Amino acid sequence: MKSGKISAARVMKYIVLGLIVIFIVLMMLFMSGSSRPFEEVKDAVEGSLDPEELTAQDSARLKRDLGLNAADYSGVVYYSAESNISASEVLLVKVRRDDQIQPVLDAVEQRRESRMNDFEDYLPEQAGLIAGARQSVRGTYIFYAVSPKADDYLAAFGSSL
Amino acid sequence: MLFSSITFLFMFLPVVLAVYYIVPYKAKNIVLLAASLFFYAWGEPVYVVLMILSILFNYFCGRDIHSYADDPARAKRSVAFAVVVNLLILGFFKYYGFLLDTVNAVLPTDIPYRELPLPVGISFYTFQAMSYILDVYRKNAKPQKNILNFALYISMFPQLIAGPIVRYADIEEQLRRRKISAVKFGQGAMLFITGLAKKTVIANTAGAVFEEIADIPTGSLSALTAWLGVFSYAFQIYYDFSGYSDMALGLGKMFGFEFRKNFDYPYISRSATEFWRRWHISLGTWFREYVYIPLGGSRCAVSRNIFNIMVVWMLTGMWHGAAWNFIAWGVYYGIIIVMEKYVWGASLENMPGIVQHIYAGVIVLAGWVFFFSPSLGYSLRYLLAMVGGGAGLADAQGAFILYTHWLLYLLAVVGASAFGISLVRRFIRLFRSTAARMAVSSVIYMGIFLISVAFLVTDTFNPFLYFRF
Repeated sequence: MKSGKISAARVMKYIVLGLIVIFIVLMMLFMSGSSRPFEEVKDAVEGSLDPEELTAQDSARLKRDLGLNAADYSGVVYYSAESNISASEVLLVKVRRDDQIQPVLDAVEQRRESRMNDFEDYLPEQAGLIAGARQSVRGTYIFYAVSPKADDYLAAFGSSL
Repeated sequence: MLFSSITFLFMFLPVVLAVYYIVPYKAKNIVLLAASLFFYAWGEPVYVVLMILSILFNYFCGRDIHSYADDPARAKRSVAFAVVVNLLILGFFKYYGFLLDTVNAVLPTDIPYRELPLPVGISFYTFQAMSYILDVYRKNAKPQKNILNFALYISMFPQLIAGPIVRYADIEEQLRRRKISAVKFGQGAMLFITGLAKKTVIANTAGAVFEEIADIPTGSLSALTAWLGVFSYAFQIYYDFSGYSDMALGLGKMFGFEFRKNFDYPYISRSATEFWRRWHISLGTWFREYVYIPLGGSRCAVSRNIFNIMVVWMLTGMWHGAAWNFIAWGVYYGIIIVMEKYVWGASLENMPGIVQHIYAGVIVLAGWVFFFSPSLGYSLRYLLAMVGGGAGLADAQGAFILYTHWLLYLLAVVGASAFGISLVRRFIRLFRSTAARMAVSSVIYMGIFLISVAFLVTDTFNPFLYFRF
């Protein structure tokens, strides 16, 4: 009886160790940030964007739309649709410090709510895109996409890290 | 969730206390465990899984080590396995990026890596887990049969995030049986309020002054401003960490636990050696029990003893963070403590007390410069500024900071010795009857609590420095 209990503890410790390894691998795959320079991630994300759908915007537009100062961050890329009847937009931010993450997420949430108010009554398909927006925080990188191709853009961001 | 947050003070804590005191004695540990997991998951919804897995791993390791009670060689292999795994997990989250950064800096490589955020409190709970494993191996404690009690030992929210590091042997009995009383609750509440005031009133204010000074380039710092900067940091880190420890000890008492104190007025020390007997006592005790003594301690040749001291201090530096400045800080203290032990310690003891205090003060303040600096180069430039190598000896900026914050510094100096609390006690003793003393105490502590909450509501600068370790 005693030896059975002992072997159970021994087996369990290896099983739990295996679970810890799996947990860490999953964290690395789906939650990790990256030491890759911003330019490399930016190039990979920009390369995946549809130029007919999205246009690069400057820091003034970023400030107007999201209330963020591009100079506060290590790097910012902001694309949005030129057309007023499209809600498509893509934002990539690399923050300098961890405590900048939450304010950026708050700004994104505010933008999302405001765009939803703009579109939900007369362009429900665009409102649907906003509702299904893709957002990801990986280390110091924050990614946000509203687009019919949001999944592709998110995948490009993930694989660029 | 921070102790010094409205959510914790007015929602989490009252609810947990109410449920804890209502449920039967047997269910109290379960309530406290559930509250602790919720507390951790509030800030770390993903990493709570890692903590639970760490709990399970160490629980089974403890059982496994105990099963080899009659086979020392296998027990040794089993404990080594458990310790190595714990260190690998801690090392992975804490040092993996630092290691690759160092490789990239030293070698002509540019290895990219995936960064993971550091799980809050991992250094503290991993050291507690290793304490359990080693205590069971040394037969200083029996392996915990009840997995819920073991999980509570690792995850207990009062000391989970930033210590004190509770040794398993010290708390084993209390996990099974502890005294819960109104007197103890009252003592705990007073300790908690004291810690809250230390954090919100002094540490956060001193921290804001330090941040202001740290933003100034070292070349533009006068000696006065540089000294005010390091004083502000010294007060910030002391009141921040000892405040947290007071809150942890106070909360422990409110739930019936007795933890050993973590600070004993370190700034009144007369040497670096004494300072480390008074600062972060639980970490020093851990390293002494589980590293220094097993290495041979001081009962060995001088050269070996010096080696043992340097190993412990290098590890102490590394424990604080994955950066060269922390390692330099640890080595700095290792060298100073070796010197005090073998070179100038005896001479120092023969000097007037005031000289000893000044000596210890300079050593500790210079140490904080290494600690807060983002790089070794910055720390050397800052130290240069402290001796007038920046923007001269004094300037209007330094004078302005001193003029506008003299009350903060006065309060911080008084509170850094037993003098502050003895003043409060003397005032309370002016009242003769017990009832009057209790009433005055209640008014004083309620006043301190309200002031602390007022600071909390108006101040956004609120991080605990030791959360990142």
